[in-house]
Amino acid sequence: MEAILAECVRDNLRHFVHRNAIFMCERLCAEFPSETNLQLLATCYLQNNQAHCAYQILKGAHMAQCRYLFALSCFQMDLLTEAEAALSPSDSSTEVPNGAAGHYLLGLIFRYTDRRESAIHHFNQALALDPLLWTAYEELCILGAAEEATKVFDEGASLCIQKQYLHIALYSQNMRESGEDHDIASSRNLGSSDDSTRQLQTQGNGQRDISRNNHGAPSSQPLNCGSAGLPFYNTPSPMATQSQLSGVAPPPLLRNAQPNGPNVRAFVADNSPRQTVNPTIPGPRRKFVDEGKLRKVSERLFSDSGQRRSMRLAGESVVNTNSFLSVSGNGTSHSSKFLGGSKLTSVASRSFTYRKGQSWTNENAEEGIHHEVHDDSRSSIAATNSSQSVDSRLLEEEGLSRSSGAATLSCSRYNDGASEILSILRFLGDGFRLSCLSRCKDALDVYIRLPQKHYNTGWVLSQVGKAYFEMVDYLEADRAFTLARIASPYSLEGMDIYSTVLYHLKEDMKLSYLAQELVATDRLAPQSWCAMGNCYSLQKDHETALKNFQRSVQLNSRFAYAHTLCGHEHVSLEDFENGIKSYHSALMVDSRHYNAWYGLGMIYLRQEKFEFSEHHFRMAFRINPLSSVIMSYLGTALHALKKNNEALEMMERAILADKKNPLPLYQKANILVSMENLDGALAVLEELKEYAPCESSVYALMGRIYKRRNMHDKAMLHFGLALDLKPSATDVAAIKAAIEKLHVPDELEDDL
Amino acid sequence: MADSSEGEEEGKLTGGNQELVVDEDLQEMAKKAAWSVSSCKPGNGVFSLRDDNLETYWQSDGAQPHLVNIQFQKKVKLQLVVLYVDFKLDESYTPSKISIRAGDGFHNLKEIKTVELVKPTGWVYVSLSGSDPRETFVNTFMLQIAVLSNHLNGRDTHVRQVKVYGPRPNPIPHQPFQFTSTEFITYSILR
Repeated sequence: MEAILAECVRDNLRHFVHRNAIFMCERLCAEFPSETNLQLLATCYLQNNQAHCAYQILKGAHMAQCRYLFALSCFQMDLLTEAEAALSPSDSSTEVPNGAAGHYLLGLIFRYTDRRESAIHHFNQALALDPLLWTAYEELCILGAAEEATKVFDEGASLCIQKQYLHIALYSQNMRESGEDHDIASSRNLGSSDDSTRQLQTQGNGQRDISRNNHGAPSSQPLNCGSAGLPFYNTPSPMATQSQLSGVAPPPLLRNAQPNGPNVRAFVADNSPRQTVNPTIPGPRRKFVDEGKLRKVSERLFSDSGQRRSMRLAGESVVNTNSFLSVSGNGTSHSSKFLGGSKLTSVASRSFTYRKGQSWTNENAEEGIHHEVHDDSRSSIAATNSSQSVDSRLLEEEGLSRSSGAATLSCSRYNDGASEILSILRFLGDGFRLSCLSRCKDALDVYIRLPQKHYNTGWVLSQVGKAYFEMVDYLEADRAFTLARIASPYSLEGMDIYSTVLYHLKEDMKLSYLAQELVATDRLAPQSWCAMGNCYSLQKDHETALKNFQRSVQLNSRFAYAHTLCGHEHVSLEDFENGIKSYHSALMVDSRHYNAWYGLGMIYLRQEKFEFSEHHFRMAFRINPLSSVIMSYLGTALHALKKNNEALEMMERAILADKKNPLPLYQKANILVSMENLDGALAVLEELKEYAPCESSVYALMGRIYKRRNMHDKAMLHFGLALDLKPSATDVAAIKAAIEKLHVPDELEDDL
Repeated sequence: MADSSEGEEEGKLTGGNQELVVDEDLQEMAKKAAWSVSSCKPGNGVFSLRDDNLETYWQSDGAQPHLVNIQFQKKVKLQLVVLYVDFKLDESYTPSKISIRAGDGFHNLKEIKTVELVKPTGWVYVSLSGSDPRETFVNTFMLQIAVLSNHLNGRDTHVRQVKVYGPRPNPIPHQPFQFTSTEFITYSILR
């Protein structure tokens, strides 16, 4: 009875029938109370977004997987101390459960409790255990402590992956053998070469034992669910959608008979940002590197196979399921587009889905050969494709792979696969690391070297957009983001930055369209409301904008940019206290969010607290040393502190940093005026006039300088030009007053 | 002390817009100010002047002149006062002669503008600027709008809405002038 119930529950989970799963599981726990079953129940709750239930039932659990799930629930409920205690209890003899995933979760906990060093340590551990745990690398980049991608995603990592795959392959073979895909197996075997069949069978035998062992293993299905939870957590991170998807590493499936590098990776397909529950079941992260964790892996695969079974039952083609399971070329076969054996060879890494609906293969088909595991858009596309087409294609592939197959499980194939994945990851990792360090040009250079099919994906394109945004090249950023929208219209990753780009470009039509689309796509994503807020802010309706940004904060309080935008709106409404609070909240989430440092600097500048202002601008400058805007404001603050020479030096750097930025030149002129170097100032302004001929304040300042030099004609001319360029009402008044006073030089000048 | 032009300025205003249209570089200044009135009928108090609802009105209940006092927390630059009054609806309650005074407080208010309304039918714009460009703005702690007389010699008055506008401050602090061109504006903020 226990076995039936457990299987039923897992089945339901695979099909997302959560209520039934929970109900059945509760009966199971009532009948056979045990930690294993509690784990299963917790999994059901977590899948159904009921972390508090999981929290309650797992209190005091001891098994590794239980502790992991408990920590996950605590994390979701923001009980970070308990989460930490569960994962690494004071008696340090117990190791972190779940290997890489456990370390990753610990890293997140440490990050959000402000213990940066420990967080970095754990993320590094996680990456060492599972080099394909991209989100750990992302977090390291965000913390500013990532090593170069070439060091992380290197040969050692390759070996790691291969080991993982080996285990999975054996396991999946066993799964196959264990009867679910009986007919599939036979049909498949028909086609496959003798060698592979034999191999499969032998491996299968071994696997069967393992799987049976796993059946009872404590680290069972909940593992999957556990990993499911993680993508859940990835949502809060700034790279929300992306991390979520990347967080779910599909169980690698080894294909023996595949001529190509197998590195099959099953993805949890529909990792749509809000459906955190779904993805995990089938494609939990691959966290199991160690031999000792083989059982866990197997268990997971077992659940996957169960899934597959249900898939079959649901009417999918038998072969399809089989192909998922079969080691002999499943991996490639999943990529539906590989109809030709030759094509198979070229595929290095393949993302797979076990479950129906996980049409990763479809994605493969679309995108071509290489699938980057962490490709956001790919997963999304996969999810949307029907499995039917996959099935048929898989069938063909199966046949092909079988016939083509090199029978033996060749390590070289895994090697190839692993290294190909890693090569992609190296690019992406490097690009991301560089853009986190604000070295945007370098990051762009790295991204451009990606193969075309990877470049044209939502994630990469929005990273490119972000890089241009930081370089204040809003037109290019707009272009990149538009392409990203075309590539993955459902993805919200980076769309908050896109809305800011449109805000800067004053494209109110595009911005309102974007905002509406985003809200329609996902009302619960912070990015949608950020875009909406930007829309209102552009129309100067700061109160409504603030409301929208606050909504965004409510949806995800770990989304630093929402806090910063709230801060900007508070400042526009002249509410400096709340502005400061918002900026501080942003910095608590991400202390390298230089926009918040900048915002604080601006507030203090306004309040004339120049030393504070200088400090904050300097912090921003340290984080982003290439931004000419920050440099020019730092210079302004120094000027206000009367440190004119330092100010001038900073302005020079700003001018060099970005030739297109006119502000440092203008500020330089200002500083020169206050240093009584009127001629120098005039020279600078003449140069500036060439560059920005329509800027009223340039002429106004020149007029003022000429007035001080008593060159009244020139002053008059420039004031006139300034007025022609329609300055603001205050300035009109000031300039007109100045003109009046031109002919009364001994009168005291008040506002000039 | 408020800056003001000497003496009174006579001006007759007729008509009135149904739509409130104000320059982009003006912002409403009195959201955080303290509003009070010299007298009111219960149910038609000072709140109706600021509720953005043209159906509700303030009705005075005492002797003329009827006063609307606006006190700011700090000295502000003001440029424009806009009132919504409607002869068709309010007839003898419609204000006819309005005087606007400014100062530091009740003790030193000085008149800066007088207007006469002739059968107004909507938003009436009263500019506070003098002829001198140096007097575009009135820099003051307090503004008082006095209704000196009504149409058809009515005793009490109805005013449906009042808004006070001043210049927007420079979004970039510590600058001598505001920026006008896109290049400057783009590079002047980090969002």
